[in-house]
Amino acid sequence: MNKTLLTGLTITVLMILATLFGRYLSPHGVDEQMKIHYVAEENTVVAPPAAPGSEYPLGTDKQGFDMLAKMLDGAKYTILLSVSIAFVRVLVGGIIGLILGYYGKKKGRSTGQFSVWSLLNGIPVFIIAWMIMVGISMNPSVSPAYLASLLAVVLAIIGIPSVAVTIQEKAMVVREKQFVLSAKALGASPWAIVRRHIYPSMKENVVILFVQEAVLVLGLFGQLAIFNIFVGGTIRYLDPFLPPIYMSRSNEWSGLIGQARNMFYVYQWILLVPLIGYVLYIVGFHLISVGLEKQYKKKYAKFAQI
Amino acid sequence: MPRAIQLTLIVPAILLFVFLFAMFPVVLQADRRLHWGEGFSSVRDYFAGIGNGHSFRYLAGKTELSFWEQIGANFGTTFFYVSIGAVIGTLIGMMLGIYFGVSRRQGLKRFVELTGVLPDFVVVIVLQFLIVYVYARTDWLVFEVASLTRDDPAIALPLISAIIIPANYMLRNVAMHMGHTLSEDYISYAKARGLGKSYIVFFHALPNVLPYMRADLHKFMGIMFGNLFIFEYLYNISGLTMMVFNNAFAHEGYQYSLVVNGIVALLVLYVIVYALQRLLLFGMEKVFAR
Repeated sequence: MNKTLLTGLTITVLMILATLFGRYLSPHGVDEQMKIHYVAEENTVVAPPAAPGSEYPLGTDKQGFDMLAKMLDGAKYTILLSVSIAFVRVLVGGIIGLILGYYGKKKGRSTGQFSVWSLLNGIPVFIIAWMIMVGISMNPSVSPAYLASLLAVVLAIIGIPSVAVTIQEKAMVVREKQFVLSAKALGASPWAIVRRHIYPSMKENVVILFVQEAVLVLGLFGQLAIFNIFVGGTIRYLDPFLPPIYMSRSNEWSGLIGQARNMFYVYQWILLVPLIGYVLYIVGFHLISVGLEKQYKKKYAKFAQI
Repeated sequence: MPRAIQLTLIVPAILLFVFLFAMFPVVLQADRRLHWGEGFSSVRDYFAGIGNGHSFRYLAGKTELSFWEQIGANFGTTFFYVSIGAVIGTLIGMMLGIYFGVSRRQGLKRFVELTGVLPDFVVVIVLQFLIVYVYARTDWLVFEVASLTRDDPAIALPLISAIIIPANYMLRNVAMHMGHTLSEDYISYAKARGLGKSYIVFFHALPNVLPYMRADLHKFMGIMFGNLFIFEYLYNISGLTMMVFNNAFAHEGYQYSLVVNGIVALLVLYVIVYALQRLLLFGMEKVFAR
């Protein structure tokens, strides 16, 4: 176990624990609103948002809700959804990729030819998700959990092709190895070869891919949130004289970032708290991925000659 | 399929995709039913509107504007940022990537990898935040944080973001392939022949790294275009993506024709920048050939 991997795992496990048990330790509930009140001994009126301090460890938002409680409430969406979307992507994409890799024809090394579909790289993934979700996500009638799982399905399907291609390429490399040939000569069925020979020799790659996909999913959450599509749905307040206000229904972290993204002049903690949580979570995953790669490299890699 | 047929099919296939793609917000609505009829009628309206020019007018807020009059300036702005980001980003990324591939300094490498894994909008927000922080502390406004009006655009900060995000990707990619290439046998052979370090790096290793860059160009472009949407929005730059997606939902609902036109314009931009990048890589391959 190397230090990088250990750090990454510690961060991730702590966050998952906070998601599961945090609400029992948090000083305020998510529905508890700070009211405007008068403090007699200091002769001041206290109004939300409250800065981080002894009463509110991470401060409150403009409506007077505790940021810590909001973060803990939203964490289940951020953490569970990112992991489960990545899992579905890798599971389905991996099976498709293994089948394609075993049966597929060998292509020459891609030389970057300009084909029909490569042009579509000009349309970013999150715009595809945005186009699908934008009609459904604004002031929805369904529950946040339902909408979040709908988004999860969309994001999982969008991500499957790229995972399948990655796995296919790796499987094709493994397919050419001697032990696959000897298994074939011994009369193993294609399924047995894929399951017992090809998959085990690329297991590390799959694990790393899973972690990287989780990071990509988090990135997509964030990019969608910048364009006001929050996980679990968006509440839009339209005012004829003001720009519309968008609020996250689920307190999912990237949603908290998205709805506070102009807060770098005043009340900065409203933006900083979810941003730090989000970045920390991504860094945790990244460290796991780097740590695993290191572990893997120690076993197999060649070294630079220069 | 012969190449000629493929090329003639390219345009209709892409257009078909764009027409279907732009239909999503019409077909999928909040009442959880699929509105295919409305979707196809918007395609029909689009074709009907080509004749009388209605497909090339759109609403920005409550004012109706002509697509052809607006597209020039917006396309130009976006092209400015993308092309500079692509070219300078590639050059800087490649230089640093070679350096990182060769050097043994791990700390800096790790930092770059970490910033590379952060989504682009985090990088933008952190940059904006730093500038506000510096201003609040020292009263010194390094750059404009975002464009407030069209006449007074923020240029430096968007340009920096447009460069560092592709550069970071390029850097990691070049460093990785450089590391792989330098572990090959022909490098140790070249070393044994007594060739200098920089000669080996630039004339033995780099020519074998460049094809990977060429093969990876579409992914690179994809990242750049994704980044484009984010930073035009966050810096409030009136470019192509802002024009399309800020106005996609006007007062009278979803503007199908604007989205179709906008995506086609975006794909045209993609082709132009792709050609530019290929040219750049072609030039590099000529320079570093033995």
